[in-house]
Amino acid sequence: MSVGLLVVGAPRSAGADVETLLSMLPAHLPAPVVVVLHRGPHDLLAAPLGRRCALPVVEPDDKDDLVPGRVYLAPWGYHLLVDRGCVALSVEPPEHGCRPAIDALFESAADSYGAAAAGLLFTGHDDGQEGLGLLKARGGRVAVVKGGSESGEGQEGEVERLSLAEVGGWLTRLAYAARGRVQP
Amino acid sequence: MSAAAAADLEALEADLLLEGVARHWGFDLRSHSRPQLLRRLRRHLREERLESFSALQARVLHDSEALEGLLRALSSTPTSLFADAAFFRDFRARVVPVLRTWPSVRVWHAGCGTGEDTYALAILLHEEGLWGRCRLYASDASEGLLADARTGVLPLPGEDDARRHAESGGRGSLSDYYTRDGNWALLQPKLRDGIFFTQHNLTIDGSFNEFHVILCRDTLLSFNRALHNRVHARLYESLARFGFLCLGRKESLARTPHAAAYEELEGSGHIFRRVT
Repeated sequence: MSVGLLVVGAPRSAGADVETLLSMLPAHLPAPVVVVLHRGPHDLLAAPLGRRCALPVVEPDDKDDLVPGRVYLAPWGYHLLVDRGCVALSVEPPEHGCRPAIDALFESAADSYGAAAAGLLFTGHDDGQEGLGLLKARGGRVAVVKGGSESGEGQEGEVERLSLAEVGGWLTRLAYAARGRVQP
Repeated sequence: MSAAAAADLEALEADLLLEGVARHWGFDLRSHSRPQLLRRLRRHLREERLESFSALQARVLHDSEALEGLLRALSSTPTSLFADAAFFRDFRARVVPVLRTWPSVRVWHAGCGTGEDTYALAILLHEEGLWGRCRLYASDASEGLLADARTGVLPLPGEDDARRHAESGGRGSLSDYYTRDGNWALLQPKLRDGIFFTQHNLTIDGSFNEFHVILCRDTLLSFNRALHNRVHARLYESLARFGFLCLGRKESLARTPHAAAYEELEGSGHIFRRVT
């Protein structure tokens, strides 16, 4: 199945890794990218994260369209859910002490995109593991990214495990699969 | 059963539950934002220790208290006074000066839930010397939440609440507005008795007055786009020309039918003024 959405979850400690990941996104990625990075009320993230990214990085308003080739960053104080091509912000209680929470995004991606969703989770926090499991169970392509210098060999449980250096290749394969959908 | 098949079955059961609630109780939840609805229903299911949406359906159709429990699970309001201090600060700075020039002001808080923001607004209006000329209406679809709001009883505000009150521009002490009863705060009757709490369902009920200020903050997040736009048409009808519409920090008028009729107050947290 081709990819219609890429969701990314990361704890606060992985902020620099997320910036690196965004810099590796192909400029013609034919799917929207939605990112939950744990954050506090005064963190300004969109500009620094967008510095090295070929795609525009925005903090969406509620019910904005999800457009391929854009990066949507969850605003502070809201869960960011996806609803078939549109953003749905939510003020449900924090999960794992976080709002935005990664599990919330991943669960909604599994619900509305199923096997067409791909997910990347940076390690270092409990939040996101359950959601990643849901995505995987629905047939979505998922991987866990180990931060910094840790080596990314092999599998973590049932889930593919990557080092930051290997993410580039994973994304390229993803973009290739996604492009396959629109070509006859 | 595969995960995909289980998900399909769950979606079917959710549809049947919503259909049942709409036809039996007249609460139409079918136009709510789907991913949020599913998540809240699942959470409610876990809390009620039920196995499936079908089991929840059986309970909700036969028991009005179970329906109230469901509506409560689907709602979310701030749990403290002045939870969004920046909004109240902007309201003081940008809206209050205009309200001072009007002889009387009707305010509607749509989707008041258990009333935290309503009481915060009442305190603000009182501090600004506007309470005497304001009539504050607060509505919610759920009678259960409204009953909580009407009591005027809140968890006792702590240091964080006092700090946010000060950040919002509050000059006096927050504790002047309530009396303490153990871990609870009983808001002063002069505030409580001056607020008209009324049951009103934004999804089906029409406009019930013309207002100079409407607060509807983060309430419409739980609706899908079509319903969101319908409700905005109703809010527009209910707002006087040059009146103020206060939305949540990440809510936008961009795709609503009357977007062109409003101007956003520059530098405010999504406060809009109706200009035509």
